[in-house]
Amino acid sequence: MTGTRVRPARALAQRLAEAEATIEALLSGQIDAVVDSKSKTPVLLSKAQDALRASEERYRRIVETSNEGIWTIDTDSKITFVNRRLADMLGYSTDEMIGRSFSQFIPEASEAKAPQRFESSHQETSEETEVKLERSDRSELWVLLKTSPIRDADGTYVGTLAMMTDRTRARQDEEALRKSEEQYRQIVETTTDGIIKLDSDSRIVFANRRFAEMLGYQPREMMGVTVFEFMSAAEKVTAPDSIQRRKIGLKGSFDTAFRHKDGTEVSVNIAGSPLVDTEGQHIGTLGLVRDVTERRKMQSQLMVSDRMASVGTLAAGVAHEINNPLAAVIANLDYVCDSLGRMVGGDAAARSEGMSDAWIVEEIKSPLDDAREAAQRVRFIVRDLKIFSRSPSDEPRGTVDVKAIMESSLRMAWNEIRHRARLVKNYGVVPGVNANEARLGQVFLNLVVNAAQAMQEGRAEYNEIRVTTRLADERVIIEVSDTGAGIPREIIGRIFDAFFTTKSVGVGTGLGLAICHRIVTDMGGELTVESEVGKGTTFCVALPVATHTREYEVVAPVEPVVDAGRRGRILVVDDEEMVVRSVQRILSKEHDVVAMVSASKALALCTGGERFDLILCDLMMPDMTGMDLHRELALVAPDQANRMIFVTGGAFTAKARHFLSETPKEHLEKPFDSANLRAIVQRYLRSGL
Amino acid sequence: MARTQTKESGLQLRLYIAGNAPNSVRAITNLKAICDEHFASACALEIVDLLVHPQRALADGIIVTPTLVKLLPLPVQKVIGTLSDTNRVCQALAST
Repeated sequence: MTGTRVRPARALAQRLAEAEATIEALLSGQIDAVVDSKSKTPVLLSKAQDALRASEERYRRIVETSNEGIWTIDTDSKITFVNRRLADMLGYSTDEMIGRSFSQFIPEASEAKAPQRFESSHQETSEETEVKLERSDRSELWVLLKTSPIRDADGTYVGTLAMMTDRTRARQDEEALRKSEEQYRQIVETTTDGIIKLDSDSRIVFANRRFAEMLGYQPREMMGVTVFEFMSAAEKVTAPDSIQRRKIGLKGSFDTAFRHKDGTEVSVNIAGSPLVDTEGQHIGTLGLVRDVTERRKMQSQLMVSDRMASVGTLAAGVAHEINNPLAAVIANLDYVCDSLGRMVGGDAAARSEGMSDAWIVEEIKSPLDDAREAAQRVRFIVRDLKIFSRSPSDEPRGTVDVKAIMESSLRMAWNEIRHRARLVKNYGVVPGVNANEARLGQVFLNLVVNAAQAMQEGRAEYNEIRVTTRLADERVIIEVSDTGAGIPREIIGRIFDAFFTTKSVGVGTGLGLAICHRIVTDMGGELTVESEVGKGTTFCVALPVATHTREYEVVAPVEPVVDAGRRGRILVVDDEEMVVRSVQRILSKEHDVVAMVSASKALALCTGGERFDLILCDLMMPDMTGMDLHRELALVAPDQANRMIFVTGGAFTAKARHFLSETPKEHLEKPFDSANLRAIVQRYLRSGL
Repeated sequence: MARTQTKESGLQLRLYIAGNAPNSVRAITNLKAICDEHFASACALEIVDLLVHPQRALADGIIVTPTLVKLLPLPVQKVIGTLSDTNRVCQALAST
């Protein structure tokens, strides 16, 4: 029976048809299970669906437990899904939110600014933007919003997925950080100190406004520039050392000087701290820069004013000191004038009497000798005073003789001392010290006056001021002791403090000892005190011995003029007519003297072709100074310029000091006596300079 | 041929399903509706759940569910899928 048998070709066709139907059914999703050809068991296709469901479940859980708020909206802006997190963030339940328009939760979205920012129908995944939402209690909720479109299988836009991160806390933190930074910025920008940050190559990476102002720049002009570029030439040499110390991790402060954009010097104190990275590597330096120019000025002003005060308290004494010899000068000169007057206008008897040697000695020579000696004393007092009148800034240090300075100070203070105590001097032989004469004089004067004021007036025979100099351990010790009231133990620690005084108002400034202390310390010395109440006080100044061995200025004894020598032609220039006349009087017997009372007239003379062997010229004159004359002569008559001897009253300006030291020039200090003047002129003419 | 003719009226069907998987459930529903409407008089239907009797799939050469097999009258015909296309199912069942 072939009828019941299926022919192979037909069977194959049938199998193919079945296979085709199977594939079609599979593709259209009508199949539940496929029998696995290996295990011969059916595998449920729905297992895949279970897996899908499980995966959906997993996503759902992620969405629900996410820290981010998530919602989806449909094309009508209605919320179709919201996770718990977002509902919690906004203070609603999920049910309350689903179905409502999202714009109810975003106040901005209802504003004119198109809501497309919150949808994404036309764009791909959006950038993150910060958006303000409104909670159920109407408070603000700041979120970082990111949206992406939802599309169906055909790619048609069906809604938007939005993810939101709560930024409220972050914003608060940022705000707090911003405020804190603002606060620091304000501190840094408004502080009266300059603040700079340097990198490891000492380049400026930060400078606050104050620092820039200090030097006259804009902060940005200073960025990246090596800090040394702003320093004065001298400081460029020493400053790198200080920076180097920061590099090895040392904090510290040092004084240095910057150069202002306008060229002036700015004195500063820099407190530097090293900056290190987390591995301890030096990455730069932080510097707190304090402008101490004013303070420096104040300090020197204080010193000057203290010295003025010291001089002021002594003015009466000095006046007394000067008036005594001056009285002798005037009285004696009057006497001589009288005597000569009587002789000139008197009778023959008187005239013949006036010719006798005895009369001349008694009436003229003796009183003039006395006047001269008295005038000499005035000269010394004035020289002492000069020590105290110099300004400290233009005063160089040099090797000075402490004994000479102490003597000057004692003469200055003599009026204070003599009513109160006996003065005992106990000078040991000591080498010179490296010091500034005027400042050391100020210290000694202060100590001596203090010693005197420690004792009551009127009991001079019972009290003693003892001045001692000695050498100990390579230091020169100067002691000033008194037998006065002594200093109580409880205040002895404060006596070197500025403005500390036990003296009544008007007697002491309270600055004296503080300034003394500073002066002595600046010289590398030490000022100490020992005191016992009721017994007295000893101040001790210890100064290092001068290292270089410059000789003190010693006035060479004047060699008597035995020989009138060569007769020279001399020009005398001085604005003080009396001086001109005196010089002319002294020199005209031995030389031809031309006198001029102004430098410009003298210049005209030389320009006119007049030539002189020597020009004695005052250094400081109104209008044209001796320095000006020298400069002009150097141009028109260089040979004349080289023949100038300068005469000075001693009140040097810095300029004059510089002028005299620039090239060695002869100069003569006023007051000079006639022997001295004649000797110098003779020597000059003889050496034929 | 006569034998086949005699049994023409007796329609013998077997439906292979996989538990209550959705397509299987749908196939049962669809098949019952077709039988009720077109072959109500003589229709023997056996439903084989391959999840319970997997060895039957092997024996009968079934590779997917749901699969409907018309055992009688001959020739044997298979319809694969949820049987939602009523015309095609009727065509297959009526074929001789």
